[in-house]
Amino acid sequence: MEESLKKDAVRDAEFARDALPYMDDVYRFALSLSRNATDADDLVQDTFLRAFRSWHTFQPGSDARRWLFTICRNAFLRTREKLRHEIDVDDGDAEALAAVRMHVEMVDDGTDQLLARLDLAPALRTALDELHEPFRSAVVLVDVEDQSYEAASEILGVPIGTIRSRLFRGRRQLQEKLRIHARDAGFASATPRDRDTADA
Amino acid sequence: MLATPASRRPRPEIGTQRMPNEMAPIDCRTAVQKLWDFLDEELTAERMEVMHKHLRECSHCLPHTEFAERFLAALHATRNDRPCPSVVRQKVIESLRTAGMTVS
Repeated sequence: MEESLKKDAVRDAEFARDALPYMDDVYRFALSLSRNATDADDLVQDTFLRAFRSWHTFQPGSDARRWLFTICRNAFLRTREKLRHEIDVDDGDAEALAAVRMHVEMVDDGTDQLLARLDLAPALRTALDELHEPFRSAVVLVDVEDQSYEAASEILGVPIGTIRSRLFRGRRQLQEKLRIHARDAGFASATPRDRDTADA
Repeated sequence: MLATPASRRPRPEIGTQRMPNEMAPIDCRTAVQKLWDFLDEELTAERMEVMHKHLRECSHCLPHTEFAERFLAALHATRNDRPCPSVVRQKVIESLRTAGMTVS
């Protein structure tokens, strides 16, 4: 009996030390999955409860954050039918090239100055919220939560190449949204032709 | 100025097989195709070196690199925007207590 209590105390201490510090991270990921604060609240609770009950399966010394993200993702999928309208892309190189082409256009129309001149946080937050799955999860895991392609691949249960192409497509879509934001903000209202005329 | 890829996170290298021409110089098209892989530190050490050399010396690619770096830094900074609300934190602790955890 005493032995059992000791084991429980060790488990509780380990969980408090290794898992609970990641509540902010899990919350952000849950919010990105559910896109709804109430659902995210439930998902965070569900995640930590499942993690606590499965703590004996956690490999000491491994990446607890990655493990929690995986539980969170699985819990999310259990709460609703897996979103199968996901449109996958499989050519990361093409996405990377397209992003550079867009940057050339942004230089041409002046929107590349956006990052230096605007507070990007509100625009990026909105753009991230609007980003569709499966791109949003890849971007949040890699770009916001610092997960490697390999870790994101494990968490989302897809090959690394798929993570790469989803990530690059997601980044390009975000840049496109920022470009629109810049135009709306009036930072690029003049076309190159207008600017040339004005300069003449 | 081209920054050495920031250690945003510990990253493994994609693949372990070394291509015979991994250290060969690359053109701009290849460089921009692999730009994000480079900034994510997802290339082999040899490819990282080749990419770094090209991007440091190429006036055509440098602006794209700097733009991508600024974009990724801004994106990463959004992580500070949304901490877990205290009410949610409290609910989690309560549900763990109910499940038998002793939380101090």
